[in-house]
Amino acid sequence: MGAAVKPGPGQMGETVLDLQRLLTMANQIGDFFAPYPPERRAEGIRNHLRTYWDPRMRQDLLDYIASGGDGLVPQVLEGARLLVETEHDKKGYYGPPKA
Amino acid sequence: MWAELRDLRDGVDLGTPPRDGSDVTLTIDGVSVTVPAGSSVMLAAARAGHAIPKLCASDTLEPFGSCRVCLVEVEGRKGYPASCTTLVEPGMAVRTESEKLAALRRGVMELYLSDFPAEDIPGGWSEFHETLQRLGVTSHPYGTGENHQASPVDQSNPYFLFDPAKCIVCSRCIRACEEIQGTFALTIDGRGFESKVAAGQDQPFFDSECVSCGACVQTCPTQALVEKSLFEGEYRHAQSIEA
Amino acid sequence: MPNPLKPERSVVTTCAYCGVGCGFKAETRAGRIVRMIPWKEGKANHGHSCIKGRFAYDYYNHPDRVRTPLIRRSIDEPWQEVDWDTALNHAAAEFRRIQSTYGTKSIGAVSSSRCTNEEIFLVQKLARAVFGNNNIDNCARICHSPTQFGLSATVGWGAASQHFDSILQADVIMVVGANPTEGHPVFGSLMKRRIRQGAKLIVIDPRRTETVKSAHCEATVHLPLRPGNNVAILNSLGHVIVRERLYNESFVRERCEWNEFELWMGLVGSDRYAPEVIGPVAGVAPEAIRAAARLYAGGPNSAIYYGLGVTEHSQGSTGVMCLGNLSLSCGMLGREGVGVNPLRGQGNVQGGSCLGSWPHVFSGYRFVTDPEVRGSFEQEWGVPLDAEPGLRLPNMFDAALTGHFRGMYIMGEDPVQSDPNRHHIVEAMRQMECVVLQDLFLNETSNYAHVFLPGSSSLEKEGTFTSAERRVNRVRKVVEPLAGYQDWEIVVRLMNTMGYPAQYAHAGEILDELARLSPAYKGLSFALLERIGSAQWPCDENAPEGTEVLHTKTFPRANGRGTFMLTEFVPTAERTNDRFPLLLTTGRILSQYNVGTQTRRTANSRWHPEDRLEINAADAQARGLRDGDWVTVTSRFGQTRLRAKLSTRVNPGIVYTTFHHATSKANAVTSDLSDWATNCPEYKVTAVEVARVDAAPMRAQAEAREDEVVEAVS
Ligand code: SF4
Ligand code: SF4
Ligand code: FES
Repeated sequence: MGAAVKPGPGQMGETVLDLQRLLTMANQIGDFFAPYPPERRAEGIRNHLRTYWDPRMRQDLLDYIASGGDGLVPQVLEGARLLVETEHDKKGYYGPPKA
Repeated sequence: MWAELRDLRDGVDLGTPPRDGSDVTLTIDGVSVTVPAGSSVMLAAARAGHAIPKLCASDTLEPFGSCRVCLVEVEGRKGYPASCTTLVEPGMAVRTESEKLAALRRGVMELYLSDFPAEDIPGGWSEFHETLQRLGVTSHPYGTGENHQASPVDQSNPYFLFDPAKCIVCSRCIRACEEIQGTFALTIDGRGFESKVAAGQDQPFFDSECVSCGACVQTCPTQALVEKSLFEGEYRHAQSIEA
Repeated sequence: MPNPLKPERSVVTTCAYCGVGCGFKAETRAGRIVRMIPWKEGKANHGHSCIKGRFAYDYYNHPDRVRTPLIRRSIDEPWQEVDWDTALNHAAAEFRRIQSTYGTKSIGAVSSSRCTNEEIFLVQKLARAVFGNNNIDNCARICHSPTQFGLSATVGWGAASQHFDSILQADVIMVVGANPTEGHPVFGSLMKRRIRQGAKLIVIDPRRTETVKSAHCEATVHLPLRPGNNVAILNSLGHVIVRERLYNESFVRERCEWNEFELWMGLVGSDRYAPEVIGPVAGVAPEAIRAAARLYAGGPNSAIYYGLGVTEHSQGSTGVMCLGNLSLSCGMLGREGVGVNPLRGQGNVQGGSCLGSWPHVFSGYRFVTDPEVRGSFEQEWGVPLDAEPGLRLPNMFDAALTGHFRGMYIMGEDPVQSDPNRHHIVEAMRQMECVVLQDLFLNETSNYAHVFLPGSSSLEKEGTFTSAERRVNRVRKVVEPLAGYQDWEIVVRLMNTMGYPAQYAHAGEILDELARLSPAYKGLSFALLERIGSAQWPCDENAPEGTEVLHTKTFPRANGRGTFMLTEFVPTAERTNDRFPLLLTTGRILSQYNVGTQTRRTANSRWHPEDRLEINAADAQARGLRDGDWVTVTSRFGQTRLRAKLSTRVNPGIVYTTFHHATSKANAVTSDLSDWATNCPEYKVTAVEVARVDAAPMRAQAEAREDEVVEAVS
């Protein structure tokens, strides 16, 4: 259950969602795209995070990766790296990840 | 299949379900009309603007042919076939009105009236009442015989009543439960004079498999099955559970 | 029995209780609704109805209806009746205060599938144009969000491919995780009609539902899988189709992306999805899987209908993709009698989906991240819009717990009762500084609200609903709104109070605006609906009266082709163990509607006075339970009490309950797991243990419950 980071009244926690919950969500996405070939897998994860996640959630994930990224499945790390590198490509799409 | 549901119109009852099929042309009281093969004479007459009186038929149900109010004459045929169960044929010539037909229809209605609550004959607005008005029947010549007028009203369902005293055993409710709803909760119990509409194993409606879809109430021509919300006083059921 | 009284007036409108969208004539006498008559020209019902639409309308007039706005400073204070201006000023001032203290993104809005299209559209406008963020979501999040995602990915549009009547041309009907005779009764009747005419039925559902067997209607194949194994079973069907070469190669070559098809064949064709491997895991006979696959692929016309039993899983979106994959592989799309069709729970789930109540897409499923699309909205609305997706409903609650989210506008929803993991939600609600709730009755959520705006029922307003067959039906005002305003008018007033100059003379003008901004709704207007009754989207210059069957020539994807997704089975993290050996799954019944706020206030409660826990006799015996015993149901997340009902509808190892009564608190036990793609909660699988409760303390509990129930309906 996610209520670990409980800020005092008027204070805000460091991450917008409980970190554990965020990592679980990221890994679930990673699991889905796992059967695709490597580049497509990373692109699928990137597109998903880019299109569906609040930017603060993405930033929290990137910060966590920068601090080591323990516990994340490898393809999430790949997808998140792409997120940084292709920031300009903004339009979302549905369907199988592009190559 | 297609036309049966899609060609239904609000406020119009063709008497039997519309059909898909090749064109068949016939005459109704001398008026030429073209309808799909598989249509009934009753439907053709309605399309020709000569709607025939009916009780057990409805365009939402397969024809049944039990009430005998819809009799017609067909040129070259003996007798008075029921128009709801007679299919159209090319070149057929049908008469929907004659003195003989009027007398036959009045006879049927008088029989129904002999087992219908006398005080409810005036002032009603059901299909049955409309048919009485159309055929000019207001009373019957029979004395008080064996009847169903003392049967208790089934009030078990929170939303509708069943009053056997107004039931003419046309089977529309039973067919609606089977054909439209697909629940098969209603049957005709008994034979002849004894026959009556029964829910489940002759149980109160509420205790039967009835799912209260309302299809039987919707199709009943006499308001033997009727919404409680249309009453004031005794039979009115406050539908909301009020404080 | 005297003659009944004749109604005086009638108005044609649409039932709001489920996604079938039946047409009714609402008849009135002396200003009161006295009867609802099914409308013969209703394209979904053709004059038929079910108990809810036909009879359960009197809730609108119930004494519990709130008729005056209410406010309070804190949730520990009692409500205070105020006038509309005071309530709206308070709400607007609070929202602005929160935003200036904690940032633009610290508030959000939620709409409901009980709202009209016009209201749903306006609530997204409220969030995007007035709040200035994309924190907008709707209750489809917790039921059919995977439909939008999974079908968009494979066939291009997140909606039913058919019209309901199409089922009358089907030869094989596959029902997955749905129980139409209870959940979508009028459609259920149509389905049974077709089965009586000889169509074959395949049912994939853990429970032997009424759909599996009823009078003159029986499934040819029933796969009673263990909850949580949908994707495994559907991939296994795919396996049989691939290995036995039952797929429709020419359809795939002409209409689909062949490369993706080959990848998919590689995945589902692998030995790990053989029925002999999956069958034992999922609790289904391998031969039954093979039989189902052959039947489906054999058609000639096979149609899929599915419900929440597919979507409400941690692999909900994957499950929907599986259905898309299967229908494409066998060429079961693009004509009458086939297709993939979600059955929607509430009246306007499809509208909720279409009209932009999502944090990532505008109306018409177009991404907020797409600059061109965003530009068209900015131009129409005259304000710059946020270019990034906002928070989804579950994430709004998550963010409330970390202090990043502090205020919420909720229309027609009761998340405290309906959303999963109740403790978490209650905790989140307590963190919020201003919750504005617009609804008919005080509910569980109103316990945590600061402003209550009394809304209008669907009998009291103008607008449209989009049914599960994509049909846009007219909702018409039958009686005057009890609290004075139609819901859309209240939203407009709130927008105005917050300083945004929205203005509409009537609901039709909102439809005009949303038609300008949503390609599939382009041709819709009140005038068109007045003329032809209803229309299925897409409705535009190519299809001026709407479209019955989708995908007849191309798929609405960039290259016009349908595609296949790789749908690996990833078992849910929610597993049984020694402490929680049973799997709880949830569903609904005929006479009640969702969380029951409305139906519970009608005589429909006579049919379903309480929620019961269905348990197999073997499991009951092992726990010393008899029919009617009070039991505790305990999961890793919480506990609730229900009465047991011994049942042969569920297999050993599985228990089942409905969640229509607030007192049952079924969501006190459900987990916080959710769909990987959409966060749709996993309602359908929770590991639990069931134990008998001692009779004595339970009696007190039972009495307390009865009080509660009486309170709920009085
Ligand atoms: S209850 Fe009505 S519909 Fe049924 S048999 Fe009697 S008269 Fe006919
Ligand atoms: S609840 Fe559904 S099936 Fe029943 S009347 Fe309303 S729309 Fe029709
Ligand atoms: S209507 Fe033809 S016999 Fe009754």
